[in-house]
Amino acid sequence: MQPDFEQFSNAELCEMIAHWLGSDRVPRHLKVITDTTDFYKVDYGDVVVLGRRPYLIQNNEREGRFGIDDQQKFWVKRSRDLIDGSVKIIKLVFHERFEAKVGGIVFDCFRSPKKEARILEITNGHPRFMQGFSVGDSSGNIIRIIDFIRGKTLADSIMQYGRDHEDYFRNYFPNIFAEYIELVEAIRFLHQQGEKHGDIRRDHIITETETGNSRWIDFDFNYLHKENMFGYDLFGLGNILVYLTGRGDVTTQQLKESGSAVLNQITSHDVNIIFNNRVVNLKKVYPYVPDELNLILLHFAMSADIFYENTDQLLHDLHEAREKLHIT
Amino acid sequence: MNSKIPNSRNILIAVDESENAKRAVLYVKELLAGLSGFHIKLITIIPEPSEDYFASDGERKIWIEEKNASAQSILEEYGTFLRVSGFGDDEITFQVLTKDCASIAECILEEQEKLSCGTVVIGRRGISKKEEFIFGSTSSKILHTARDCAVWVIE
Repeated sequence: MQPDFEQFSNAELCEMIAHWLGSDRVPRHLKVITDTTDFYKVDYGDVVVLGRRPYLIQNNEREGRFGIDDQQKFWVKRSRDLIDGSVKIIKLVFHERFEAKVGGIVFDCFRSPKKEARILEITNGHPRFMQGFSVGDSSGNIIRIIDFIRGKTLADSIMQYGRDHEDYFRNYFPNIFAEYIELVEAIRFLHQQGEKHGDIRRDHIITETETGNSRWIDFDFNYLHKENMFGYDLFGLGNILVYLTGRGDVTTQQLKESGSAVLNQITSHDVNIIFNNRVVNLKKVYPYVPDELNLILLHFAMSADIFYENTDQLLHDLHEAREKLHIT
Repeated sequence: MNSKIPNSRNILIAVDESENAKRAVLYVKELLAGLSGFHIKLITIIPEPSEDYFASDGERKIWIEEKNASAQSILEEYGTFLRVSGFGDDEITFQVLTKDCASIAECILEEQEKLSCGTVVIGRRGISKKEEFIFGSTSSKILHTARDCAVWVIE
């Protein structure tokens, strides 16, 4: 019979903490929480009991968007499962609604624990998605308990490859591109289930140190879509591909600062349709980028007349480009 | 007559609360006023909002009810426009549909087929290329995917 962990005494919980983290980490006054509604009150050293399992709260996670203005996410806690000692990310309920603005387009966005819980269930066991489950706290809040992924964002991990762009592109990019295709396949799987990721950007892909596999993280963003439910996801996939191809974003500013002669050849048609300072027509900057790949990038350029409407269309072109890059 | 071929005199006007939708209705009114044998089907599609957007089911229900009431009142107003121009009550029908729609265009075309309408009329919002890129355009999608019917896009 499964023990009722809610009935664990403070002494027992302290013993568990000492077992996994050492006696010096046992808090003097242990606070046990079952209702997480006020997530600001869930603090370092508290034990949260969810689904009859105790978790020691360690610290708040941060939004590592560009690594500069990291903001603490008070509703996302790194914690230790006191039964098996594993590190978990606990996402508490934060009903945030806001207007997102992308390239001057404003749209209603919201954070949805329900959505993330659904996707965790759908993607259970899928190697390209973060893994976890949801559980209700004593007030019925939908809490997500997620396996901590040891690794770097895909964006950070590519920076270590290659002496220069050409070395990177010829020797490392083919494998990175193959990995990217796997990630797009994963998003197709999600779309086929009628779900959107909602916030596809490069720091929402973590490459596991141990396996080298990359996984999508953070599925709680949602927005009221218009005609194309998946358009915003495709936009994110395009931005990531441009970033991976260029080994970082190539901006007109950078070209100007480096005195690159290429700048004279860049026209308003060659830049990202939304972010007009990012060069998308990378063949102009790196002539060895094959046409098949560059044509995909151009779907995200100001000059584009047709856009990808779904991942099938994008994947079709990616597989063609893959052959050109000699990836088997 | 092949029942699978929609009747081009059955005209489906897909409207929402926007000005361009109103222009679509006014265009049909002016074009066909005084002519007999046409049947105008005014529809509004309300894409069923995801439960994610609401804190409770009650909130979601209220949202849908309000949208329905507002759409109904718009359709009635447009019906009045058409009646004033000489369309008979039996030549106009209204429908507000709350549907699970991944794509509004697809939902409109489903109704076009179901109602056997040989003509679809929609307004065009004139959205920017950027917006079309991220969110798609209902009128563009209808233009590209409609089969066995005429599409009138009113600007």
